[in-house]
Amino acid sequence: MKKSKLEKLDLDLYEEQLDNGLKIYIIPKENVNGIYATFSTKFGSINNEFMPADGKKMIKVPLGVAHFLEHKMFEQENNNDPFTFYSERGCDANANTSNYKTTYLFSGANSFNENINYLLDYVQSPYFTDENVEKEKGIIEQEIKMYDDEPFFRLYDGIIYNSFIKHPIKYPIAGTVDDVYSITKDDLYTCYNTFYHPSNMFLVITGNVDPKETIELIKINQEDKKFDDFKPIKLKKYDEPNKVEKAIEKVNMDIEIPKIGIGYKIDCSGIDKNINDIKTYLSILLDLKLGSTSTLNELLKAQNLITHDIDITLINTDKHILVILIIETNEIDKVLNKVENELKNIEITEEDFERKKKVRKSNCIYRSDSIYSINNKIMNNIMNYGSVILNDYKKIDDLNIKDMNKIIKKINLNNKTVYIINKS
Amino acid sequence: MKYKKMSTYSYNLHVIKTDKFKTVTVKVNFKRKLVKNEITYRNMIINTLCESTLEYPTKRLMTIATENLYDLYYKGMNYISGKYNIMSFDVTFLNEEYTEKGMLDKSIKFLSDIIFKPNIEKNKTKIKFKEENFNLAYNLLKDNIISSKENPDNYSRIRMLENMEPNSFLSYRSCGYLEDLEKLDSLKLYKYYESILNSDIIDIFVIGNVNERHIKKVIEENFSSIKTFKKPSESHFIRPKKVRFIPKTIKEKQKINQSKLVLGYKIDKMTDFELRYVLNVYSYILGGGPDSKLFKTVREKNSLCYYISSVGQPLNSILTISSGINKSDFKKSLTLIKREVYNMKKGKFTDEDIIKAKITYINSLKELEDSPQSLLSLYSGMEYLKSDDIDTRFNMINKVTKEDVIKLSSKIHLDTVYLLEGD
Repeated sequence: MKKSKLEKLDLDLYEEQLDNGLKIYIIPKENVNGIYATFSTKFGSINNEFMPADGKKMIKVPLGVAHFLEHKMFEQENNNDPFTFYSERGCDANANTSNYKTTYLFSGANSFNENINYLLDYVQSPYFTDENVEKEKGIIEQEIKMYDDEPFFRLYDGIIYNSFIKHPIKYPIAGTVDDVYSITKDDLYTCYNTFYHPSNMFLVITGNVDPKETIELIKINQEDKKFDDFKPIKLKKYDEPNKVEKAIEKVNMDIEIPKIGIGYKIDCSGIDKNINDIKTYLSILLDLKLGSTSTLNELLKAQNLITHDIDITLINTDKHILVILIIETNEIDKVLNKVENELKNIEITEEDFERKKKVRKSNCIYRSDSIYSINNKIMNNIMNYGSVILNDYKKIDDLNIKDMNKIIKKINLNNKTVYIINKS
Repeated sequence: MKYKKMSTYSYNLHVIKTDKFKTVTVKVNFKRKLVKNEITYRNMIINTLCESTLEYPTKRLMTIATENLYDLYYKGMNYISGKYNIMSFDVTFLNEEYTEKGMLDKSIKFLSDIIFKPNIEKNKTKIKFKEENFNLAYNLLKDNIISSKENPDNYSRIRMLENMEPNSFLSYRSCGYLEDLEKLDSLKLYKYYESILNSDIIDIFVIGNVNERHIKKVIEENFSSIKTFKKPSESHFIRPKKVRFIPKTIKEKQKINQSKLVLGYKIDKMTDFELRYVLNVYSYILGGGPDSKLFKTVREKNSLCYYISSVGQPLNSILTISSGINKSDFKKSLTLIKREVYNMKKGKFTDEDIIKAKITYINSLKELEDSPQSLLSLYSGMEYLKSDDIDTRFNMINKVTKEDVIKLSSKIHLDTVYLLEGD
């Protein structure tokens, strides 16, 4: 068990890797009652072309399988129901699937030892039948339809779909209704056997726990279980072009205020930095140019072109960052022009840059009060950097305007897509 | 953790001292009896005051100031609490231990400036909010009001209540109304603002690792402009009008993929114990989560929906059930939901179900102490709704029996069925 300090946050991190490959990360917090545990596999919506654990050639499974599998883990043999188990202990259970991982979780102030054992047990005992797979299709269909009625989800999905050409990040996490209806029990087992090996998974526990006891407990739980040897998973690589698939799309929805999404697809392969660090620089940059402290934001509001701040989100693949701007406006062309112009000649001052660093540092401290935020930080670090960042503070201190200016010179904002939702 | 309530002539100061958090939150609540057109005014007050201050005449400058205060977070909010309308302003900032000396005083002054030092213009004898700021606040509220329809889930719940009891407190929209907004100007709004400072009931809550004496002094210095005399408050709770013998069914159309089904139930004369405890247990068993009767029947057994839940509203003596379904499954879903509600009446649930509900409630009480926001709502509930403290709640929830739940079931009557019908 390795112990390290999370600098400036009054927190310690305990790490352990078990013989079967499972990695455990624990951050105890004695002054709270709650405990939050997440159990994740590095298997997300984009992993639908790979070499299966027991196969010799690459296969392709339907889109939306990772999310479907997540739903089906909650169906256990003999009508054993994880939701009932956690409810009996007054705890919450849930799961979620993103582009890159699937996470099963519980939270609560009670019965931690039973809870953690059960989490490991149910996620490590799949029970997929033709019947229970069939039953889930109607439920997921309703989930997809619910999101289809949300204009902001439609914008995000539309922008991402039109930005990418080959990379499967293009597709919505749950797949389409047709994809969902094509999924079979065998697809689920193939994915499960490939991606749910302990070597491809990690546990993060934050809250009022004893790290030593907890690691012992997990060790005992895992010792009884047999796993095949782990072979590194071969995933399909995508040679994603820099251009976007489609430059503009317009749709109608039953809404009151028209909305636009703008996606800038940025090739980062020529910048000598971890893509997640480039993302940090870019988000500071965009915040300064378009965010709540920008002169553009003030101007657009004064002219009644917008009433809400521009929403800025960044997502990435191994090669590209996609900047997504979401704007509500009745004057689409005017706003598009103004945003374009603002991003033509980018200059930022050292004073503004340093202020945004101060904001980021303060946020590190804010987040360290919540066992949920701490847990998310650890998960993100593992997914993005392969290990936990112990000195977030210093990492922010090291951000500098020189590097920022180098990045500004290198980025190209010409690969753009626009998605417009008009009133029907 | 230590709680202390200090009274002055014009407001109550509630200090919750705890070393659990690295932050301090200060919240100022203005409360008065609910009047329909004032909901819009109060939203406008919030938008206008949060838009600028005398010192920081634009929102951009205000936001830069918050960033310099180590990312202080502020917000204004208006919500309906039974018969009352509560408008609140709060700031959250890092404890000085993590920033620098003097930040506590500066942060509280920032909050006080939002409330008492608005960006105004004087014209002879007349005072009004600066026209530019008023307009920005106006545009924002107007967009918020007209876009409420864009969230079908929320919109269907509002429409159900408006059909259940039009023109009653429980159906009022907390974001306000376009027709009231259009009648407002900056001068009128300023008059209303003055009336708030002179006549609302005011409570100030502070939570964090603070020195009581110091905080009392800083609050006194910054909130001396409050001129109101403290008035006694009436109960917030509403008793609903009569239940319909035959439930009203309303269908409205919108161009959406998924239809939204909302059922409204009225509850007859609940006792204090029922509305504070038994209703909680009832609603948890019926539709409180993925282990509930509704979830298991409508979603898991029949694959009709992705989400379904029931929510008890003790303040309004109602219970709502909502779900998203295919239009063609309306009748089937309705029948299944009604059967589950009927089964509750017939006592078709187990003692384990009751125990699960109680443990869940108790666990959430324990976790309530983990976040400043939930502690604030605990103490404001004790002030406004005469809710019990945590220890009393532990005891009381354990007293709920199966018979209590069955008895409450017999008081719950279906009143309104609302379907927002999609394609």
